[in-house]
Amino acid sequence: MRESLIPEESLARVGEVLSGPVTVVIDQREAQRYAYAVGDENPIYFDAEAAQAAGYRALVAPPTYVTHAVVQPRTASDLRTDGLYRARTGVRLLVNRMMFGGEEWDFIEPVCIGDEITATTRLAALDQKQGSKGPFVRQVRETAFVNQFGTEVARSRQIGIAR
Amino acid sequence: MSTITSDVTTAPKLSDLSVGDELPAMHKFPDEAQLFLYSAASHNPHRIHYDREYARFEGHEDLLVHGPLQGAWLTQYLTDWAGPHGRLLGVTWQNRASGLAGEELVYSGTVTSVDSATGVVELEIAERTSDGRLLMPATARVRLPTA
Repeated sequence: MRESLIPEESLARVGEVLSGPVTVVIDQREAQRYAYAVGDENPIYFDAEAAQAAGYRALVAPPTYVTHAVVQPRTASDLRTDGLYRARTGVRLLVNRMMFGGEEWDFIEPVCIGDEITATTRLAALDQKQGSKGPFVRQVRETAFVNQFGTEVARSRQIGIAR
Repeated sequence: MSTITSDVTTAPKLSDLSVGDELPAMHKFPDEAQLFLYSAASHNPHRIHYDREYARFEGHEDLLVHGPLQGAWLTQYLTDWAGPHGRLLGVTWQNRASGLAGEELVYSGTVTSVDSATGVVELEIAERTSDGRLLMPATARVRLPTA
């Protein structure tokens, strides 16, 4: 039996809420600043008439913007040398580094400007696998985004690869 | 810079689509200003995106393109293609490797299934460097108008 990279206490956290629920109002200036920063000048993000003509109830935010909209302000004194914020709810693993492996998104309903979005992130999975370069851990952080009508509008699963 | 824009007149018609059809390519050119703008707009202070000396200290060849920016370009590629009445239902991408500042990125796509009853079209998408290195393979589901 090879050694586990996942301590018992971390495995016990699968299903646990890692952050949130946090509620934000989708702001037009911030969403448009984001769309411009991506270079995505789709009229449904900038022109209310174009958005309505396309079947939306109001101006829309770009699909993955919602994940950035819910980032909470933090003090710069929380920054590490690499420029990342110190983790508050890090899951302890017996590994050297965590890499971003990819992301899965379900876009269920549009996120419109002025919507009130509540995001809750859970530790959805923690699995040890055997790769060609040795064992690694696949960590899944799943975030559900729910609007002011109680409708789930989007769900993201961020895959972290740790070895 | 993108080569396609969202437009009713250029949007694909469900009845014209077949498995194997290829989407027109989209090109992006992430320079330093692009990376700075995305760091700011996405509240991302990670040093590897703006401090070249630090990025090299971490063993990278140059400043890295943000994974979520590559993802945002992927969704733009799909929503531009689908047109204003299309809807992006879902996307899954793998970050195989990072793009570097100054390196052109090319998005391509192929239709893998078409359901004429529901309008749901499945696609395989790839983000590559202009010399063909695969950075981000992806799959996506889009719904097009059935009428």
